[in-house]
Amino acid sequence: MTQALNMTSLTTPTTLKALSKAAVRAGMALFFLLATSLPLRAELLIRITEGVDSALPIAVVPFAESGAIPPGDTLADIVQSDLTMSSEFRTLPAEKMLSLPSQRSEVHFRDWRLLGQRYVLVGQLTRQGDRLEARYELFDVNREERILGESAGAPLGNLRTLAHYVSDRVYEAITGERGAFSTQLAYITRENVGDKVRYRLQVSDIDGKRSRVRLESAEPILSPAWSRDGSRLAYVSFETGKPAIYVHELASGKRTKIADFRGLNSAPAWSPDGKSLLMTLSKDGNADIYRMDLASRDLTKLTDHWAIETEATYSAGGDEIFFTSDRSGGPQIYRQKGKGEPRRMTFGSRYNARPRPDHKGEFVYYVHQRSSGFHIARTNLKSGEETVLTRTESDESPSVSPNGRMLIYATRQGGASVLTVISADGGAAYSLPATEGDVREPAWGPLPR
Amino acid sequence: MKFSVQSKAIAMLFSVGLIAGCSSTGDPMEDADFGSDVSAVDQQGGSTVYSDGTRDGVSSAQLSDEERMAAQQQSQQMALRDVTVFYFDFDTAEISAESRDVLVAHARYLSANPSMNARLEGHADDRGTSEYNLALGERRANAVQRFLIVNGASRGQLETISYGEEKPAVQGMSDSARSQNRRVELIFR
Amino acid sequence: MAFSVGLHLLILVIAISGWSWSSSNYEPPPRSISARLISPEPRPTPDVTEVDQPDEAEQRLVEDRKLLEQQRETEQQRKAEEQKKKQEADARVQQQAEQKREEQAQEKARAQAEKKTQAAEAAKLKADAEAKEQARQKTEQQAQRQLQEAKRKAEEQKQLEEQRKEAEAERQKREKEAQEQAEQKRVEAERKRQEAERRLREQNLKALAQQATDAEADQARKSQQAAAARAREAQMLTDAEKYQALIRDSLSRAWYPPSSATEETTARLQISLLPTGELVNVTLVRGSGNTAFDNSALSAVRSLNRYPVPKDRDTFDSYFRQFTIEFNPSRLR
Repeated sequence: MTQALNMTSLTTPTTLKALSKAAVRAGMALFFLLATSLPLRAELLIRITEGVDSALPIAVVPFAESGAIPPGDTLADIVQSDLTMSSEFRTLPAEKMLSLPSQRSEVHFRDWRLLGQRYVLVGQLTRQGDRLEARYELFDVNREERILGESAGAPLGNLRTLAHYVSDRVYEAITGERGAFSTQLAYITRENVGDKVRYRLQVSDIDGKRSRVRLESAEPILSPAWSRDGSRLAYVSFETGKPAIYVHELASGKRTKIADFRGLNSAPAWSPDGKSLLMTLSKDGNADIYRMDLASRDLTKLTDHWAIETEATYSAGGDEIFFTSDRSGGPQIYRQKGKGEPRRMTFGSRYNARPRPDHKGEFVYYVHQRSSGFHIARTNLKSGEETVLTRTESDESPSVSPNGRMLIYATRQGGASVLTVISADGGAAYSLPATEGDVREPAWGPLPR
Repeated sequence: MKFSVQSKAIAMLFSVGLIAGCSSTGDPMEDADFGSDVSAVDQQGGSTVYSDGTRDGVSSAQLSDEERMAAQQQSQQMALRDVTVFYFDFDTAEISAESRDVLVAHARYLSANPSMNARLEGHADDRGTSEYNLALGERRANAVQRFLIVNGASRGQLETISYGEEKPAVQGMSDSARSQNRRVELIFR
Repeated sequence: MAFSVGLHLLILVIAISGWSWSSSNYEPPPRSISARLISPEPRPTPDVTEVDQPDEAEQRLVEDRKLLEQQRETEQQRKAEEQKKKQEADARVQQQAEQKREEQAQEKARAQAEKKTQAAEAAKLKADAEAKEQARQKTEQQAQRQLQEAKRKAEEQKQLEEQRKEAEAERQKREKEAQEQAEQKRVEAERKRQEAERRLREQNLKALAQQATDAEADQARKSQQAAAARAREAQMLTDAEKYQALIRDSLSRAWYPPSSATEETTARLQISLLPTGELVNVTLVRGSGNTAFDNSALSAVRSLNRYPVPKDRDTFDSYFRQFTIEFNPSRLR
């Protein structure tokens, strides 16, 4: 407050000087034009090309609440968890805060600076009947400036929806990139119930909360794939005793079996327009990649080789496909335009499989074997440079967040398969809460429309 | 796990002593890769003890030589056909030398019994990607199917399916567990 | 020549007007030189806080004034040089004039002598004619008067002869006197002239010698100063580089590049510091087009409590009072 006052009191007299200054400058400019023969010294320029590569400290202050707010995780809890999961942020525990402001006038920037915080999020959560209303402000501690000030509402039961939305807004204000905290995950759980195994297709928030079972079976379910509008899932289910590909409309629960050929029916992947699916079929005796038009069910065979071709996916632009083939002797990733000649793009080790491109077409992520085990790696499509992103030894099923900033994959923890989120460049890992049995085959849903 | 060890022990009981070098019918890699304290006993003591016992049990003098030979051959074939799981190395679909005799026995049996049908279930261990493993399991099942057809079985008797890494025989991430999961199972129906 | 003088005058006038004007408004001491105005940089964005603009203007004034001073010095030097040249030229002209004058005087003397000789000859011819006439008359009188006449004739002749001789002697004597006088004068004048000339030459030589000595001394002094300046400059540069690196490190540790940044994203900020290292002001000179990125840079700059700056005031003034920082994550990821 005092700072602001200082600023304004200082600014007023300067307006008078502006005119005279302009005149002086004009004179000087003329003078300098006449004196060009003099040697001149360039002004000092310092280039900063490196920055901090660790998480950005942010304080998410518990929101002031009014009205009867449902118990459970608070809005600030959820926002903290979201930001932490991105591994681009490091949040300050509430017990370390010197004060708990809920609006600008209560924010003492010096305190937050002393605590090493770069940003502070404050706000209020109010219940109005059966709705929740959040007012929130984000401050840059060093600049002592507000960079976000908004309000948002949601039905009473949707505190999480509201919180993820706030996380998205904060994330975007600071990073300039859309947040992906309001997106959904699809994954498969495998649980032993008595002497039987239960397979479940589930859809949840990206923090694993609010999960809902979409399909349950005694036989394996795998390879869930989101249509780009987020309305449908395609997956492989063995519910009839053999693998078949199904398309599942989430809103209605309506399922359609679209591929049930002899042999393999696997690895479905949506075209960008949602009108066709790539899939792996072995109806002709050998696993090859086909494209099926969903309306006509017409098939186009895209690869024709005695080796295994599978795990196809469209490039970000949809003009190319990436897939796995072991035609070189072991599984490697290839790219192919239409029915053209495939080009191998991984050479770093003897096992590279299941490519997944990001939304910008900058990287392709995949499973990569080294002597230390199976890791997630990515290749820069422009430079061809390969980076191994994970260090755990049984990493599978990479799936990139729709903003390209986070990566989820399945790994082993204490004998069971769990899901872990890392930043897309391999930053700190965040494990999703463990459930019973194995959690596998995560698929990151698209941004909400 | 107990079951699989038992079945193999029985298989050995029948086979050891009739075929030279038969004590290696069981997966030696599997045995070697069990917990270190157990494996030594299983491999050395176990097989030795059982084979001695087998020889004692079969060496009855009441049968003629021919009868004994036929009985021996039959029991040998039966013993072989008790083996219905075939193991593979990582990321391969090559049928091992140990599996070949057994598969030949199965092929002959199928050939002699055209009404019999069998299902070949291909599996992979948990390493690598699930969809590639699905294809790899299918490739293994197809390899076994081809071998059986070449040795007398007819295509119509055989059905293949791959479960990839979805249905492991043994839970766990040890080399032993994984070597038991890289398999094709032959199931008569 | 006239043009350059005019140009100098114009510069001087502008300089002087600049001086008096600026000193009426601000009175900071002269400071370092900068050339930023030659190619005017993009104007600060409109959200520039006015608080700190005076400082910038001051800085510029200060820089401008220093320039003016240098300009004036250069001009004085040039003037001195021209003076010297002029003196040399003058001396040369004077010498030429002197020579000419001498030649003229010699010519005059020769002409005078000639005239005198002619006059003497004329007088001699006249005298001859008179003598012939007298002789003819005498012959006539002789014829008329015979005896008396012969006697008187002889007497007269003798008298005339004497008179003539006398006159001649007189004339010759006068002539000789005049000649002697003229010669004396001439010699005297010549001596004086030569004396003057010698003195002038000596003066010139002395002046030249002095000038040479002065120039030498000046040169020595100047090169000494230049060497000192160079040494100082080098020292300042070394210091500047050191602190530049320190500032770079501090900012690299304080900057969290946002994930939306690419290798091409670049923002330029202008920083003003106090000699204590405290930040006076930061302005976004050239934004990256990515608000989050620009904010991250501004935030990093604002996050340092104190900038590492050299204690030496000149170095600080030259490099760190105001400088530019460019944020570009070219080596990131």
